[in-house]
Amino acid sequence: MIVCVAVVGHQNNPLYIQSFTEADDALKLHHIVHCSLDVVDERVNNPKKSGPTLNETFLGLLYPTENYKVYGYLTNTKVKFIIVATDLDVRDADVRNVDIALLRCNNASCLSPFFRRFHAAYVDAVSNPFHVPGKKITSTTFAERVSTIVKSFGLSSAG
Amino acid sequence: MAPVGPRSGDAIFANMERVNAELFTLTYGATVRQLLTDLEEVDEVNKQLDQMGYNIGIRLVDEFLAKSNVSRCVDFKETAEVIAKVGFKMFLGVTASVTNWDADGTCCSIVLEDNPLVDFVELPDTCQGLYYCNILSGVIRGALEMVSNTSSFAQPSIPSFLWDVSLKTEVTWIRDVLRGDDAYELQVKLVKQVPEEYPYKDDE
Amino acid sequence: MNRKEITKPFQVEIESKQKQKIEVKMGREVSESCVDSLLTEMVSTYCNRFYANKPELAARRIEAIGYQVGHQLSERYTMERPRFSDHLEAIKFICKDFWSELFKKQIDNLKTNHRGTFVLQDNGFRWLSRISLDPSLENAESQDPSASTESKAAQATSMHLYFPCGIIRGALSNLGIPCAVSADISNLPACSFVVRIKA
Repeated sequence: MIVCVAVVGHQNNPLYIQSFTEADDALKLHHIVHCSLDVVDERVNNPKKSGPTLNETFLGLLYPTENYKVYGYLTNTKVKFIIVATDLDVRDADVRNVDIALLRCNNASCLSPFFRRFHAAYVDAVSNPFHVPGKKITSTTFAERVSTIVKSFGLSSAG
Repeated sequence: MAPVGPRSGDAIFANMERVNAELFTLTYGATVRQLLTDLEEVDEVNKQLDQMGYNIGIRLVDEFLAKSNVSRCVDFKETAEVIAKVGFKMFLGVTASVTNWDADGTCCSIVLEDNPLVDFVELPDTCQGLYYCNILSGVIRGALEMVSNTSSFAQPSIPSFLWDVSLKTEVTWIRDVLRGDDAYELQVKLVKQVPEEYPYKDDE
Repeated sequence: MNRKEITKPFQVEIESKQKQKIEVKMGREVSESCVDSLLTEMVSTYCNRFYANKPELAARRIEAIGYQVGHQLSERYTMERPRFSDHLEAIKFICKDFWSELFKKQIDNLKTNHRGTFVLQDNGFRWLSRISLDPSLENAESQDPSASTESKAAQATSMHLYFPCGIIRGALSNLGIPCAVSADISNLPACSFVVRIKA
């Protein structure tokens, strides 16, 4: 389950952050997102570590925390997308068969299409002539699209 | 139904040189944004967009007549139908319909469900008085004026008295999706049919 | 363009990728006349109506409109691509994919001095051949028609070129490459865009 989504500008300025959880842990999630930015920078600036995926937009798993896994995506225009997901899916999947586990998107590469959809929503939002580059994304259409994407992820992984 | 000539709007559009709408959409958006910065007053921006549209409308008419095979329209009603059904399709790739004719045929609505100008656009609260697509009202005004004018040149064999009028119209917004309506509706009102001088003057 | 500045120009191969996708995008299209008329009218509005006596102000506004468009388009057109590893790769992207999206053709010739200056030449720049310069000429009722019409025409052409210059600058700056872009039309109908990357 995706619990938090963030879009961060090329100067690490937050453009959009939204958590999708009942619990009152927005601050904690924001902190996790904040920490992940350093990981992205480190990844991108140390080609050896990232290996063959050097310039791919999808960065994969950035780091796991106790309860969450944090995934990243970096566009050509140096905009970062961060997804914080719970680890529950993986543990649930263990008790089911492999096919279902795959469907449940418990591995990192399954997240790639979700990032692409976030990216597409972002590109449309910044194509609004009234959007000022580098400023926070206030578009309600964008918020709705992100929310739809997050929910669709929940559906495919909650079985 | 107007005598549209042998070709439908779809067929003409399919044969037009076409480009990604994104370039058009974003260029229009950037222009509107720049006009807002430079003119500050929303009303003034509306006026400039209308003026730009008018200039475009009168200039696109030659291409419109050449490619659509529209040779003659006998009255305001036919001209409006042709502009909406053929003109919008061949340039913007969208179909407009004409409705709400009044009894004496001098006022109607041109309705667009969809319109490439507004892709990606969300009006900020500070621009509530802006008619974002106001360029369209100018285009319609200019095109109506010129189609009625220039058709006579396209068909010199037709007695000129049929053509010696220029359709002056007023175009106002009735509905606008960007302002929460379900479609774009422009009311086109015939102000007067201005008698034009015979195109070939004595001293020419 | 200052030719002296580009010492020992190097030709850069704009190789076509063998597996270059001929993208069958079913995106929305409009007639090219829409773009042409909009550009003609936008330039004319700024040059003839708003800043008739201040061409440098008109130029700045037109460039700014192009900049916003280029900034937004680069975001769209790089969406499915890996990140560029250096400036040359980004410039090649402008020459190939970006230019193809806009003009259905690539830049014909790319040169660089390897010191931050790139010259992108389009042998038949579409907006120069298609965009009507009439509106500004019609208004040019002056005392000395021959000379002034010619200079007016040259001025109108250069005004139109601020828009594509702005597009290129906007696209590159969004890709992390701040630069200055100017146009050179000394070899019409070819048009060269000179990109100087800021250190």
